[in-house]
Amino acid sequence: MIERGLKVGGLTPAQMRAGGSLDEALGKFERFYVGAEFCENLLPGAEELKRTAGFFLGKGKKVSVVTPPLTERGLKNLRRVFKALRPLACQELELTVNDFGALELARELGLDLKVSAGRLMYENLFRIRASVFQVVNSYALHFFTARGVNRFEVSAVGARQLTNFGKAAALGFSLSEFSLTLYYPYLNLSSTRTCLLGTPEIGPQDSVTGIDCRRECRTASFEVAYPDVKEKLLVRGNTVFLHFPGKLYPAEKSLAARRVDRLVYCPLP
Amino acid sequence: MKIVSCFSRLSEIEPLAAAGADELYCAVADLPSFGYGVLKGGGLKAAARKAHALGKKLSLAVNSMRITYAAGQMKTFAARLERAAADGVDSFIVASPSVFELFSRLKRPLPGPVHLSSVQPCLNSLTARYFIRLGISRLILPSQVAPLECAEIFRECRAARVETEVFDYRFFGCVYVNGRCNLHDPVFHTFREGAGQPALCRCAAGKGPSVKPVGIAPGSGPEALRLTRRLYARMTCSGPPRLNNAAAFFDFFTMGTNYLKYGTRADTPEVKVRKVKELRAMLDLAEGLSRDLPRSGARAAFIDRMTRWRGLEGGNP
Repeated sequence: MIERGLKVGGLTPAQMRAGGSLDEALGKFERFYVGAEFCENLLPGAEELKRTAGFFLGKGKKVSVVTPPLTERGLKNLRRVFKALRPLACQELELTVNDFGALELARELGLDLKVSAGRLMYENLFRIRASVFQVVNSYALHFFTARGVNRFEVSAVGARQLTNFGKAAALGFSLSEFSLTLYYPYLNLSSTRTCLLGTPEIGPQDSVTGIDCRRECRTASFEVAYPDVKEKLLVRGNTVFLHFPGKLYPAEKSLAARRVDRLVYCPLP
Repeated sequence: MKIVSCFSRLSEIEPLAAAGADELYCAVADLPSFGYGVLKGGGLKAAARKAHALGKKLSLAVNSMRITYAAGQMKTFAARLERAAADGVDSFIVASPSVFELFSRLKRPLPGPVHLSSVQPCLNSLTARYFIRLGISRLILPSQVAPLECAEIFRECRAARVETEVFDYRFFGCVYVNGRCNLHDPVFHTFREGAGQPALCRCAAGKGPSVKPVGIAPGSGPEALRLTRRLYARMTCSGPPRLNNAAAFFDFFTMGTNYLKYGTRADTPEVKVRKVKELRAMLDLAEGLSRDLPRSGARAAFIDRMTRWRGLEGGNP
């Protein structure tokens, strides 16, 4: 049974209602991904995130709070977020981390939530190419599973990707040890801290204390077409994406065989 | 601050030491590392002997994230690392968590001191703590974090007696998260027939793109136009801004960073020696100015001299 999720990001239910998408989303999706995946500047405030998570939980939905890569500044905000989320802890509320610091913080605060490794963490244990999807080695997988992380979030699990899942026993792991979440339809190719859109130029005399942007990423996404590259790239904020074509989606029934039991639709890159 | 230099030929060790390298590191063909350039002209044992004879320590880069081995091969990999230590390798540069898990499950100590590679990006003190608990002895900071963001990381490292290392800002510094960049190689995107295959993350690698905004937020047209121009410049010649520059180096220097790294293993021997000399000249300048001037004056003078400096051909900075 495939669970269907929607990446809401930093939008509040009130903003979704004003945009006319809330009712449809509540009818269509079982899980809501809230928070920020790639940039700490986009992480909503603790109380706002608590209200958003509480709203969806109150509607009988499941919620995943997504956290981005973190500097010390982001860590400080995330500490407040985790403390605010503590009273909401339940089976329906999960956490997705994209930074080992967030994992450490959750451990330190004793946050009793199921934790998944986000799309910026998968390189630690998977080798993913357009035609390949492999667990790199059993120890990489067990590093996470031994720490209670059994769900890994990825993009681009294609029908024609060769996996090594069939050789799991020989490789030293079991398929039942992990599940995958597939985000679609945008694949994150690369992220930078110095946001392509928001970071002002940095002179040789500037030693920065953080990325002080004006949230320019909210203005638009940007399509970048290189004459020599077949696909168009999409830039949103600090991340470059590929809008991957339909051929990369396996039929839903074959997803389960590939350990994908959750799909997350991302309306924006 | 000491200088760590890469090398990829046995014959490079002596000239690099003479140029000012305090420590050396390399990668070998039969162990997985990140980047290009593996040791030629001799094995690890000979390299270690040569480095040690010059009073230099030797590190081995095994910092690939993609250690694609079966369970049995992982055990052979562990034994290979232990053999490298026996051959004289003083420390190992590691990125993949699987290496820590491997030795933990084998109930054997890590093969030697472990330096956390920048390919495993540590941007905050709790990530540092996480890997310190796993046993690292040195943290190599990625270029995506600025010194003034690192005070807590340094505190964490000092408390645990873990050393810190940064890259020279002039010779290294991909602005995308190191080791996770799928713009560098055509992993998912594809080039048209007959086209070169430039790394799209590199400055000027992808000339002539068209950039257009899509899904513009209501009322944001003029801002979208302004951002289109900025993005065009950044996707063609300028690249995203770099956090590390002359000011950042000076701040890392005064914060007491232990090591300064030059790590382009694929450079020619001549280029390697020249770059290490330039690291040494920069370090000498920072040390001299810090000795002679108050901090703010030293910082300003350092930035000014480094900004105007065009390399050793024109003399010292």
